[in-house]
Amino acid sequence: MQNKKVVAIVLGIMCFALTAGICVQVRTVNNTNSTVSNDYEENNLRAEVLRYKERYDNKVKELSNAEAELEKERESATQNDSDLQQKEQEITEGNKIIGLTEVTGPGVIVTLGDSKKDASSSLDPSMLLVHDTDVLSVINELKNAGAEAISINDQRIIPTTGIICGGNIIDINGEKVGAPFEIKAIGLPEQLAALERPGGYLALLKDYSIEVKLEKSNNITIPKYTGTINYQYAKSID
Amino acid sequence: MKKKMKKGKITMIITAGIVCFILVLVMTMQFKIVNEADVTSIENMRKSDLSTELANWKTRYDEVNQQYEDTVNKIEEYKNNKESNEETSNLMDSELEQISMSLGKTDVEGQGIIITINETNNEEVEDITADDLLVIVNALKLAGAEAISINDQRIINMSDIVYIDAASVIRVNGERILAPYKIKAIGDSNYLESSLIGNGGAVDEMKKKGQDVTIEKENRVTIYKYNGEITTKYME
Repeated sequence: MQNKKVVAIVLGIMCFALTAGICVQVRTVNNTNSTVSNDYEENNLRAEVLRYKERYDNKVKELSNAEAELEKERESATQNDSDLQQKEQEITEGNKIIGLTEVTGPGVIVTLGDSKKDASSSLDPSMLLVHDTDVLSVINELKNAGAEAISINDQRIIPTTGIICGGNIIDINGEKVGAPFEIKAIGLPEQLAALERPGGYLALLKDYSIEVKLEKSNNITIPKYTGTINYQYAKSID
Repeated sequence: MKKKMKKGKITMIITAGIVCFILVLVMTMQFKIVNEADVTSIENMRKSDLSTELANWKTRYDEVNQQYEDTVNKIEEYKNNKESNEETSNLMDSELEQISMSLGKTDVEGQGIIITINETNNEEVEDITADDLLVIVNALKLAGAEAISINDQRIINMSDIVYIDAASVIRVNGERILAPYKIKAIGDSNYLESSLIGNGGAVDEMKKKGQDVTIEKENRVTIYKYNGEITTKYME
């Protein structure tokens, strides 16, 4: 009889724990999944965001058409003067370096992914994630190895690009990207591949069981920066 | 009597087994949904996130629209001045000016801040590392800094900040720099300062470690140009 009681109590506790678990899960899903949320204001905002995003995307397309036209105009305006051609060359070359035109060349692709290890097996689960400082350090090492152009998940790194992480997503150029991070760099592949050296940052990340992959390639395309660069505070002085 | 009890027990165990199985199944399903939910997608954002996101896209739209109009104007100007080499040359110079500034090939000035970091004599305080400087530079860029230098080494797109173990020195652009470190940045000086000293800000974190960091706001900060050669060999 007493045995039965114990069994009943144990079962009761188990059922309670499982039900509680399910309740927590259902609430999380409700929080993350919009199809379940019926908040009118939220849906309105969402539509508005999408509308602006679309307008932005369209404008970006128009802008890149206009830039192509500008390049053509510039070419035709400079075709019969060698001084002007020289300047045109400088503009094209400069735009490549600061990230305003798409570039191709040999280099490496580094992929960083969150650890596949079970989070509960680690003392500090956040160590299993890729952080903004990790990406920052890898970018810094790539520059040190002579990278000429770099992008993260196709977001071009320009002189003013900062990297910040919020939760498990990273914000680059105002664009949100999530793991895995694909970092492309153009430069001498053998030199860039030195990032894999023992004691380097990639080795350190591997020690934390972060998924790290480095591939050399002879043909890497890095897209141009799609935002705008303008200076409000800095003025050139001669 | 004994047999009957056993039978009841078995039924109970089977029932409990089935119930547990169903519950676990439901939980696994739920886990899967949660895992699949993409946090970067706006479908999954809450109200406050959506408002920030909307403001973010509005600004970006305005910026790109401004850039578009500038480009259209430039096209017009090139078209109108096609016949005059002098006018075309002037147009190109103004385009080049902005590019040179981005490249770091010109001296620039404007309002901004100067951060000074001194080594402390206190043995217990950690030394300043290349990573500390890297984090500050990143924070300054996030706060909209338009030009940055460390000990007058201009930060350009290809600048690296590394610690050379063998020589125990920090190098920026391949040049060694020594303490005290002076980081200059041009931009909205209030915004630059507050983003560093706010709770969790890069300078705030360093001060908590006991490091000696000061920030001065200036109406006029002068940042010198990059004095190396900017060349590319591999990209086309």
